[in-house]
Amino acid sequence: MKMRKIKYTYMVGASLLTLFITQRAVAQDAAIKQTSPASIELLKAGSLWMNSTNGAGLVLDNLSYFSDIKFTYGIKDGDYKLNQEGEKERLFGVSSEGGLKLGKGYAWGGFAYSNEAQRGTLFNTAIIDPQRGMPYYPIDPNKSDWMKQTYDLSMKVATRPFWDKVILGAQADYMTKVGAKQIDPRSEVYYYRINVKPSAIVILGNHNIGVNFEYQNSIETSGTINSDGQVNQPVFVLRGLGNGYEATVGGLQSLGDFIYTGNKAGGALQYSYSVNNLKFLASGNYTYGVEDVISSPTKPKKEGAIVENVIEGKLVALKTGDNIHRLELSYRTENLDGIEYVQELDNTYEVQSWVVVYSSIRSNYKEQEMSFKYDFFRGADHDYNWRAGVSAQYKKNDDIYYMPESTEMIKNLFLGVNGKYNFSLCKNCNILIGANLVYKNNLDGEYNYGGAEPDSYIITDFMTPDFKYMKSSYTKIGGDISYFTKISKTGKAGMFIKAAVDYYKPSDRDDNRIQSSLSLGFTF
Amino acid sequence: MKNIIKIVFASIILVLGLAACQQFEDVATIDKVTPLESTVSLSLDLGNAPTPSQFNVKFTNYADRFELSKVISPNGSIVVDGLIPGIYTVTVSAEMAAEGFTYNYSGSLVNQKIVTDNSSLSINVQASKSGALVFKEVFYCGSRTPTGGSYFRDQFYEIYNNSENVVNVRGLAIALLNPNTATANLPVWPGDDAANFVYATAIWQVPDDKDYPVNPGESIIIAQMADDHKKSNLNPSSPVNLLSAEFETYVNTTSIISDNPAINMYMAFWPTKMPQWLTTVFGGVFVIYFPTEVINANNYVTPIGSATKCYKIPIVDVIDALELIGNPNQINLKRMPTTLDAGAATVGGTYLTKSVARKVKETKNGRVILYDTNNSTNDFEVMDVPTIRRYGAVAPSWNTWK
Repeated sequence: MKMRKIKYTYMVGASLLTLFITQRAVAQDAAIKQTSPASIELLKAGSLWMNSTNGAGLVLDNLSYFSDIKFTYGIKDGDYKLNQEGEKERLFGVSSEGGLKLGKGYAWGGFAYSNEAQRGTLFNTAIIDPQRGMPYYPIDPNKSDWMKQTYDLSMKVATRPFWDKVILGAQADYMTKVGAKQIDPRSEVYYYRINVKPSAIVILGNHNIGVNFEYQNSIETSGTINSDGQVNQPVFVLRGLGNGYEATVGGLQSLGDFIYTGNKAGGALQYSYSVNNLKFLASGNYTYGVEDVISSPTKPKKEGAIVENVIEGKLVALKTGDNIHRLELSYRTENLDGIEYVQELDNTYEVQSWVVVYSSIRSNYKEQEMSFKYDFFRGADHDYNWRAGVSAQYKKNDDIYYMPESTEMIKNLFLGVNGKYNFSLCKNCNILIGANLVYKNNLDGEYNYGGAEPDSYIITDFMTPDFKYMKSSYTKIGGDISYFTKISKTGKAGMFIKAAVDYYKPSDRDDNRIQSSLSLGFTF
Repeated sequence: MKNIIKIVFASIILVLGLAACQQFEDVATIDKVTPLESTVSLSLDLGNAPTPSQFNVKFTNYADRFELSKVISPNGSIVVDGLIPGIYTVTVSAEMAAEGFTYNYSGSLVNQKIVTDNSSLSINVQASKSGALVFKEVFYCGSRTPTGGSYFRDQFYEIYNNSENVVNVRGLAIALLNPNTATANLPVWPGDDAANFVYATAIWQVPDDKDYPVNPGESIIIAQMADDHKKSNLNPSSPVNLLSAEFETYVNTTSIISDNPAINMYMAFWPTKMPQWLTTVFGGVFVIYFPTEVINANNYVTPIGSATKCYKIPIVDVIDALELIGNPNQINLKRMPTTLDAGAATVGGTYLTKSVARKVKETKNGRVILYDTNNSTNDFEVMDVPTIRRYGAVAPSWNTWK
């Protein structure tokens, strides 16, 4: 009950904050024009710093006021999926964002809430997002529903330039998630993450040099119980690539609560240059993070730890004018070490605690990503007339569990094209119709399990089918249509309704997956 | 006010930052795992038993589900490489037939830390003749009622004469050892010679009123309640009718429990008496032995820091032992000394209507001989339907109600 109260207070507070920012803007920014989904897209496409990790850069983007709120209902259906995804998923979400000038500074705020029901998931007992890169968590073979809620509150602020030379800024994100598994062994999971990035930019004529630091703290707690106390449930605690150990939920020696505690620190450097209507932004990020996993907090036992190194480089080129050309090149590499501990119980009557006698890196997970993206916006006054884009992404995962050796490697290439056309139906209304096509081409892939039980359900029903899914090539065809209209004669409020569908069809399998959503939104 | 907010915010960041520094420091020196080598040698304490030509050495790392086996000569040593750093159970075993007997050789190191390269292990090996009486089948986990409820009165313990000689079970004792269930917190026992004993929380004895001979290939059934458990007022879903059991651990007559044809066992030691001798459905630890002196319930001992009354049983008196655990993962929570049982058996849960039964080694002149290597992990298998007198075992002739 207390948790629910906190959640409601948080949600109401965040909504009021967003609305407060946007209402203030109406009074302050008299020259603002009516915003629409297309104009917000264009606004972001024309900005260099908005998507960077340096909040201070918002001032350099010379952004105008914008705000929207959107209610979305989405469903996913189909068997082309990971085991841990739902056979059917239903999502209701509300999100809002707004940006405004504060004197010569700028502030941006966003809030998102989603309520998700995943039907028929498999092999996830006690972690809210099994795809987040954490190898240590329990799984069970019982098909189950998961109910999840996410709250995400973000902000970026930039001061006015001091002495026309220095801008200070900050970026922060606060996220909480709660989730509950609906079948024994059932768990209740709480996740929290706060990320802050103080930043600064030095202006040197057409050259800008930025720096930001990053700190993140996260905690996830999960407790697993059985509703039917008469039947114990077997679980398998994963340690990576199908290795792990068997345990039981229920009875004596039941699996204890799992607590994940993570800290991450890092920084980034940015350099931007602008001449006439050409702008460039080059940035490089590095983060180092550690996340510990313990079970049974009253007699803590280390389940493992991960050490994560992420290096990222990005180049954005932008040409503005009557039209907008935007080019993005990025490279990202992630190296994650999985640490395991040998522990023995100090059974001394007064002590009785687990003592670490040996620790080593038992597994390693590497991910490399290179991407190219080009977008063209025809007509860059306020709304665009049409837009078109192409993209390419190369992604390689190379994982190893050292002893006993198991390996998994996958190389994929994603090629995409997209376009949207903005049909003007009347003076204050228009329809935006978009289509996109993505082809995923698997270049290579191999999974070799060298552990103790190659015939166990962990390998045959979980790891191998998921590997085949990740290795498969597919074609995604997507489309969306949105209708926007002004809803006030004197003000600038507008309303839009949007429907979107994505259809995934693998090349060498008979199954498929459809994702569709319907949104109702307002701009003001 | 603004300053206070700034100070609070800065303090929070500082505290979180310090916590992060500690966490980063903890993992800073951890290196990639490397395989280890260990040298094993044997210390033979075989008494009058012959020395076999070779022994099997098995390294088991339960946490990693990793096993490695080698062969070693009696007076040699062997280097074992490719070991994953961890906590190991190292067992040495051999079997040899000589002078009309089957000798079992066993030695072990339990919870042996192998985390450095080139460690040396010395394992003491002892010999014993295969026991005449062995646990043949134990149904401990209970069953489900037709409505899904739990039923535990159909537990039974079948004891088999695995030898070629007649054995008189008069005065035979069956004991449930402390701790009741698998746990990492093993009790600490007083006395310098504590390791020479096992400690029972309950002991039942075959009455000392007359002889109860058991021929080779015959077995006796000790039932918690020697009734037909399929009766409508008990559990129609129970797998067993135990009316033919030789013995039952009868305590009192109740609306459910009656005094059945089976001979009532003698309650020799049971300080925490209950209406029925329900042993844990999670898997207890049992021994059978012939007491060398009358069991005096007042001569109990308690573990250090506990008031649980237990009775000391000399390990040398034990005829057979069986460790049962709740699930395979609990093997590293062993309670039984490995000289008695180097492994453990399990049905993997509770109320599964399954039993553990000793595997058949061979059939000689029509007599079934069961495995008895003092390692229940190897000797026992799970049976989907608990059955008394499996493999053609017969009841003793003095059982006239069978």
